[in-house]
Amino acid sequence: MLRGGRGAVAALRRAAGSRGAGGQGRGQALEPSLLRFLVCPLSKRPLRYDESTNELINEELGIAYPVIDGIPNMIPEAARTTRKKPPADEQQFTLTGCYS
Amino acid sequence: MAAAGLGPARLFLGRRRGAMRALLGLARGLASGPQTHFGFQNVSEEERREKIYQVFENVAEKYDVMNDSMTLGIHRVWKDILVHKMNPSPGTLLVDVAGGTGDIAFRFINYVHSIRERQLQQKLKRHQNLSWQEISKSYEEEKVKPLGDSQVVVCDINKEMLKVGKQRAQHLGYSEGLSWVLGNAEELPFDDDKFDVYTIAFGIRNVTRIDLALQEAYRVLKPGGRFLCLEFSHVSNPLLSRLYDLYSFQVIPVLGEIIAGDWKSYQYLVESIRRFPPQEELKEMIEDAGFFKVDYQNLSSGIVAIHSGFKL
Repeated sequence: MLRGGRGAVAALRRAAGSRGAGGQGRGQALEPSLLRFLVCPLSKRPLRYDESTNELINEELGIAYPVIDGIPNMIPEAARTTRKKPPADEQQFTLTGCYS
Repeated sequence: MAAAGLGPARLFLGRRRGAMRALLGLARGLASGPQTHFGFQNVSEEERREKIYQVFENVAEKYDVMNDSMTLGIHRVWKDILVHKMNPSPGTLLVDVAGGTGDIAFRFINYVHSIRERQLQQKLKRHQNLSWQEISKSYEEEKVKPLGDSQVVVCDINKEMLKVGKQRAQHLGYSEGLSWVLGNAEELPFDDDKFDVYTIAFGIRNVTRIDLALQEAYRVLKPGGRFLCLEFSHVSNPLLSRLYDLYSFQVIPVLGEIIAGDWKSYQYLVESIRRFPPQEELKEMIEDAGFFKVDYQNLSSGIVAIHSGFKL
C-alpha cells in the first residue's frame, strides 16, 4: 500500500516537473547532428535527448537542459533538476503525507 | 591606459562617476568574490558577467548596424581575413564561440561551399567522356552535400544574440551544416577532441575568465586542431594611437546613442578594448593553455589582431 502510494507520488511529481519544462521545450526539436558534440557542461558526460519533453538529460547528475526554439540551452543555471528535490510545489507537499 | 587629455570636461566627469561606481562596486565586491573589471569600473566576477550579458542583450538587434558604422565597414574585411587565414577545406568541423549573430559562421559556409563547387567542377572537367548518368550523379552529389560534411556550431552565452543570428541565417538562406547552441565559453557543452577549428571573434574580450575559455578551447579541439582569435588589440604607433583614442572615446559612444539608443554599452565597449591584454600578453596566455606555434598577425596597425595556435 505504501509502495503504491510512493509510486503514485513519484509519477505525479515527474509529470508535474516535465510538464513545467515541457511547456518551454515544446516547439522546434533539437537538430540531430548536434547530438554527437553535446555533453553536459558541468560533468562533460553524455546526455540523453528526450524527444517528448525536448530536453537533454544528464541521468547521473539528475539535470535536464531545455531546448528552446531548436537551440539547446546548455547553461547550468538554466537546467532543471529531474530528481526528487525538496518540492516547491504545494500539490506535492500534501501528497508527501503518504511518502516515508 | 586611457584617453588622457581628451575632451577633458566630459572625461573628468566620467572618471568621477567611474570612481564612485568603483567604490560602490568595491563595497559590494568585498562580499561577492574576486574582483575584476567592467570597462574602467571594478566589479565582482558575478557582476561583470551580468553586466556584459545586459550589454549584449541591449545591443543585439542593432549589433550588425553598429559594427558597420563604428568600423566603417572594415570589420567585414577583418572577418574575411580570419576565414581566409583559416582556409577551411570541405569536411571541416568548426566551433565558433561567442559567435552570436553568425558573421564568422556564414563566411565559413560560403568559403567551404565555393571550394566544394570548384572541386566538383574540376572533377567534371577532368573526365571528358562521362555518361549522362555519371554527370547527373555528380550534380546530385552537389545538391545533397553542398558543403561536403563541413559543419559549424555557433555557441554564444546570450540568447538575444543567438536569436538575431538564427533570424539572419533564415533570411540569408543558410541552413545546411549550421547549428546554434546556448553555452558559456568558460564551460563549453562539447565533448573533448571534437573540432578541427575553434574561432572566437570579438568575443574573448567579454569573457570574464579568459584562462578558462582558453583551456576549454584546447579541450574541445582535436589534436592538430587550430585556435583562432580575432580581437581588438593595442596600437603601438603613438600618433595613430591618439587618433584611435579620440575616435573611440568621442565618436563611438555617440554613434551608440544615435543608432542603438545606448551610450553606456558602447562606452563599455571602448573601455573594454583598452583593458584587454596586448598582443604579446595574449600570446602568452594562449601558450599557457597548452597551444603550440602561437602567433599573431596585426591588422590595421594593431587595432585588431588575429592570434593563432595549434593543439598538438
